[in-house]
Amino acid sequence: MRMEGFILGLSSGVLCAAACAPVLIPYLLGEGRGIALNAWLTLQFLAGRLFGYLVFGLLACAASLSLSTRGAHGDWIIGGAYVFFSALLISYGFFRQEASRRKSCFVNRCQKWIPVARPALLPCLAGLITGLSFCPPLMLAFAGAAARSGLGESLLYFLSFFAGTSVLFVFAPFAGALKRFPVARTVGKLAAGVMGVYYFYSGSMMILGGLLR
Amino acid sequence: MTKEKVVLATPAPGTGLPAAMLLCLPMMLITLMMLSRGNFPSEPASMLAFGATYFFVNGLFLMMIRTGNTDRWRAILFVTYAVCFVISFITHLIEARGSMALTESNMIEGLTPFCHVVIPMTLIPAALTKTIIFPGTLLGTKTAIASMFVLWIGSSLALGRGFCSWFCFFGGLDDGFSRLFKTARIRTIHPRWTYLPFAILLLVVLVSALTLAPFYCQWLCPFKTTTEYPEITSLKTALQAMVFMSLFVALVLVLPALTRRRTQCGLFCPMGAFQSLTNAINVFDVRIDPEKCRSCKKCISVCPSFSMSEDTLAKGKSALTCMKCGRCLDACPEGAIFYHLKGTPLNPKRAEVGRRLFLYPAYLFLATMAGAPIQDAIVKIIRLFTTGRLI
Repeated sequence: MRMEGFILGLSSGVLCAAACAPVLIPYLLGEGRGIALNAWLTLQFLAGRLFGYLVFGLLACAASLSLSTRGAHGDWIIGGAYVFFSALLISYGFFRQEASRRKSCFVNRCQKWIPVARPALLPCLAGLITGLSFCPPLMLAFAGAAARSGLGESLLYFLSFFAGTSVLFVFAPFAGALKRFPVARTVGKLAAGVMGVYYFYSGSMMILGGLLR
Repeated sequence: MTKEKVVLATPAPGTGLPAAMLLCLPMMLITLMMLSRGNFPSEPASMLAFGATYFFVNGLFLMMIRTGNTDRWRAILFVTYAVCFVISFITHLIEARGSMALTESNMIEGLTPFCHVVIPMTLIPAALTKTIIFPGTLLGTKTAIASMFVLWIGSSLALGRGFCSWFCFFGGLDDGFSRLFKTARIRTIHPRWTYLPFAILLLVVLVSALTLAPFYCQWLCPFKTTTEYPEITSLKTALQAMVFMSLFVALVLVLPALTRRRTQCGLFCPMGAFQSLTNAINVFDVRIDPEKCRSCKKCISVCPSFSMSEDTLAKGKSALTCMKCGRCLDACPEGAIFYHLKGTPLNPKRAEVGRRLFLYPAYLFLATMAGAPIQDAIVKIIRLFTTGRLI
């Protein structure tokens, strides 16, 4: 039974890795760390994603829960999370370097309050929010978990699904091989900023969709 | 305030007319074949268009050889090519579909012309799924996917990122607008932004692999404004159209005019970033003779792709992002910058030989690519004057 979640995760792992790569890879490049430290950042990212999946597991159980749970409220919540996350990415990608030079600027003051200033939190948050996307495999996992009898079963199902989807992430730390190219860091940060703009659009559209529903 | 001494560029080494004519002969013969495609036109308007294009193209090449200037003559053909491409493309679209808008049925039928900018986005999905993520046809037309891949591979091997100055049918637009004013209104751009095309390349490749759709074409391509765009049927397509138009106005019209740089190509285009990587395997590069260079930094101020800096001057060669347009060669008052064939000894005294070796393949690509749209645009303009209708 738990194998079912694992196999579902394994089979859709490419899709999950592809969904996370546009956020994770620019972030790892932007940090410019070596392979070992990248592995640690990837683990933080995966921890955030695991938390996101467990939230889904809880929802699946609490709702008994059908796919219709994703109503207007769901759109607002996830859209809002996306917009918040996009602000972090944009701040990380475009303003972080500048901010350190201008001590009194608004951006710098804001960064005291957001996880950009707390390095461990950004990958966790990135993992959590990319984990909150309603991709088809997750919807399948959601349906599978909703069919389980109790909370423990639902959570275990999502845990095994997470383990299956995480296999491909073992390659992510190797972005650290580019550490010797200083430009990779600049490119990674800028890419994270542009990705932030994309998330801002996605989040705004979700909120708009929720409002119009 | 210190007075700046105005240094005029010394005339490039010229070539006598008979020798220049002789050197142009191979180009004249090959372009005759390429522009006519084996069939000389019989209609008067087409004959006139063919003749005018042929003499225009070869006249410019003759001037390039005779005067020793590269960019000055290249830019005339390159900008004309881009303008004529837009005229030809839009009129064809309206003739074929009745509108510039691309409907869903057009896409399902695979009627979308394939453009080289999509190439980097198709590679990972093609490797993973053995499909090309573009609603076009694989074979059979000039704008088919296979044709563009073959042209891209050939031109990348021959020119590297010279592709962006001697091949790309969009590049001439921002090249043209970058020459609108004699002085730049915006002089400094933080070097950090020159990495933005690489960031966009990284993202569009990853997101396209995720969504199995060409993300740049869907959301970011400014040239949709001058070619075709998805039919506006929803808020999403309206937003897309707004993004295309805003980027076109900002990156192709306004910023090039204010900075005198090719901002779309140098600060945004992911294909340009991708082509920079092919500069590493291309046989030509642009070198700087340290003995002749007086560090006047004129090359830095004129380079449209931000490929010249004090670092590159110290290294004696242009950056990886160099488009090999030749603007720095023309601007250098000492003639210290030259095209160089990799693997051969660095001999600035034989710089003109290196330039000619580069010019033959580069100009042949440009003339061949430019020939058809220029002829077509001339025919349509003649039609406009004689019948009052462009289409």
